[in-house]
Amino acid sequence: MINPEMNKLVETLLEGDHAAALAEARRLRTAGMASERIVTEGLEAAMQRLDDKCTVESFNLLEIMLAGRAVSAVVNELYPEGMPPERGRDTFVIATLEGDIHDLGKNVTKMVLIGKGYRVVDLGKDCPVENLVNAVEREHAHAVLVSGLITPVIPQVRRVRPALAARGLGGVRVVAGGAALKQATAGELNVDYVAETAFDGARYLDSLARGAV
Amino acid sequence: MPVLVVRVNGATHSIPYEPGPSLRDILDVTEYRVRSACHGIGACGLCRVCVIAGEAGEATQNERLHLLPALLSQGVRLACQIRPKQDLHVEILNPAPPSNWKSPPDATLLQGAHKRGAGDRWLPSGVRHPGGLAVDLGTTNLCLSLFDLARGKWLADRWGRNPQHRYGADVVTRLAAASGSPDAAQEMSRLVIAAIGEALLDIATREGFDLRRVACVTLVGNSAMLALLSGRNAELLLRPENWTRPVDCLPRDTSGWVAEWGIDSAAEVDVLAPLAGFVGSDLLAGLVATRFIEGASPALFIDFGTNSEIALWSGKELWVTAAAGGPAFESSGIGCGMPAEAGAVFRVEAQADGGLNYLIIGDDRARGVCGSGLVDLIARLIEVGRLTPVGRFVNGATGFAFSTGGTDLTLSKNDVDLMQRAKAAIGVGIRVLCSRAGVSVKELRRVCVAGAFGRYLDIASAQSIGLLPMVPPEKVELAGNTALAGCCDVMLSSLAAGRLDHLRSIARLLNLAQQPGFEELFMENLYLQPLRED
Repeated sequence: MINPEMNKLVETLLEGDHAAALAEARRLRTAGMASERIVTEGLEAAMQRLDDKCTVESFNLLEIMLAGRAVSAVVNELYPEGMPPERGRDTFVIATLEGDIHDLGKNVTKMVLIGKGYRVVDLGKDCPVENLVNAVEREHAHAVLVSGLITPVIPQVRRVRPALAARGLGGVRVVAGGAALKQATAGELNVDYVAETAFDGARYLDSLARGAV
Repeated sequence: MPVLVVRVNGATHSIPYEPGPSLRDILDVTEYRVRSACHGIGACGLCRVCVIAGEAGEATQNERLHLLPALLSQGVRLACQIRPKQDLHVEILNPAPPSNWKSPPDATLLQGAHKRGAGDRWLPSGVRHPGGLAVDLGTTNLCLSLFDLARGKWLADRWGRNPQHRYGADVVTRLAAASGSPDAAQEMSRLVIAAIGEALLDIATREGFDLRRVACVTLVGNSAMLALLSGRNAELLLRPENWTRPVDCLPRDTSGWVAEWGIDSAAEVDVLAPLAGFVGSDLLAGLVATRFIEGASPALFIDFGTNSEIALWSGKELWVTAAAGGPAFESSGIGCGMPAEAGAVFRVEAQADGGLNYLIIGDDRARGVCGSGLVDLIARLIEVGRLTPVGRFVNGATGFAFSTGGTDLTLSKNDVDLMQRAKAAIGVGIRVLCSRAGVSVKELRRVCVAGAFGRYLDIASAQSIGLLPMVPPEKVELAGNTALAGCCDVMLSSLAAGRLDHLRSIARLLNLAQQPGFEELFMENLYLQPLRED
């Protein structure tokens, strides 16, 4: 159920109208609403609606990207220094691994997670496994997400869990997604979960955050 | 346009046609071929039809030789001897057996390839009237042209589906399958070699051509198709660092191919090396065929396909890139899509009453929509306000349902999305090449559109959704299959082969995904609106 005060924000986010979304977020804050509530009741509601729409394939790539851009704009407005880790929600590290430079899917996933109120550290594309592990340690991340469009990146994906374990970070969950990776099983990739879509991955991370997995 | 009504196997089909060619040639590009074995010179007498209504002209001497007076008086004729000019109603008495191979719709597919000059190529001794086969290996289609080498004279064309399709519609999926399994790699190579053999056999039986006369075979293709043909280095092509570097995709030994095809045992097989991991020799051949760097500049060249290749000639520099936009231009993966062949909606026109009129290739029954039909349909729906530039149907509709040629078709939002992604990749390519070469999009003095997709393309529709830059329509050349035309050039002329080498040496490669601001630019180009000009 969407808080009626949030209707306009949710609507502008789904429209992908980032200027209007930004203006509405500023208005809500000036009216005294806490940033945290704008995220949890506005952004998350919009992401839920987007998830529902994508499930029935009624959102195209441009609409998802526009909504993602609007969500990012609002988050940057509310938290210009970046989302504080102490907000109580989990931190995730996301990257497209070395050997792959396609990061559209990774960026969509990042937008979905930010919209759900998570703190996301983006290491970009063509990222060595070593950098990934360093970031997990530095940011106290709860999970890492790796994306791959092309199959040659699979050996790199398999290395992530052992590399984390070698630093005593064995409890950190590893989620894989992307065209090349979603055809494989979690066992084949040596990861905890293979996400069919950005939203599927986000749902898995939600269940982690709730301690259900 | 006069209409040919064809009755075959109990069904009737209406086919509009341009007068000029023989009835056999008109039928050859449709699904309804008549049996033949002599290249249509009236020698075999197999292509029998019965004229039911309309004027077919006087019987020729060849017809009187093959057909008894009683048959002639019943209206039985030879399709290769009739050149219809008006509406004609015929029944095909001797239909050709089903084949995967067809003649291309018309000569524009080959853009002047038929008029190539006499060859200056070394010819093998011992083969009289040697022939040469040019092959364009496309991701979706294979196209072939057979020439008399000594006279530089065109003999026959064929095109058909690339049988590797079962391993995936796009090159990345096929390369991944090949690098993951030696069996799959071997099978994909075998499939293409066998398909070329089938096409040759279709030419041999239908045109009465002795395949032992084939003294050389020249092949072009995108890098992935060449690697899969040769069974070499498919895995290298999956690694982005190789995309802008040369990758060896040439076969080690082709004697087995020559034996399988049944051509002259001393025949030379010449696979033209790709430019780099993501730009094939098909692009180089296209630049040769269009005399790209010898014409007006700045000039843009786009070979539309599953993996579109784009070149920009500034007058001084030649920049080249590839845009992997998916198979939407070939209408693969589109719910209502089909290739640009008989039964495809290829044009959609607005009518005065606000309705839409659908034109169908070579048939009165629609089976789907080809790439150019898709571009038209999307452009028309935006014009009438049923679809927004974001790719959203108004009033929450999930698609656009329409009925034409006795078939109900639906353009879904997902179909539109696939076209948006494909055209966004092209848009990014054009913008990035122009900015690298220091050319503004509106300064372009020549735009060459290559590929079968361009054949039926409406330039204004393509411009309105941002698929082509907004230049005056007379500056846009719909050049057809330039890869095959250039392959013919190189096979027939050492001058053309030299030009190809020159292009190879001056081309500068760009990897779009590594350009700064790629994502913003991609997003901007997903909109169904004219291409930005600055």
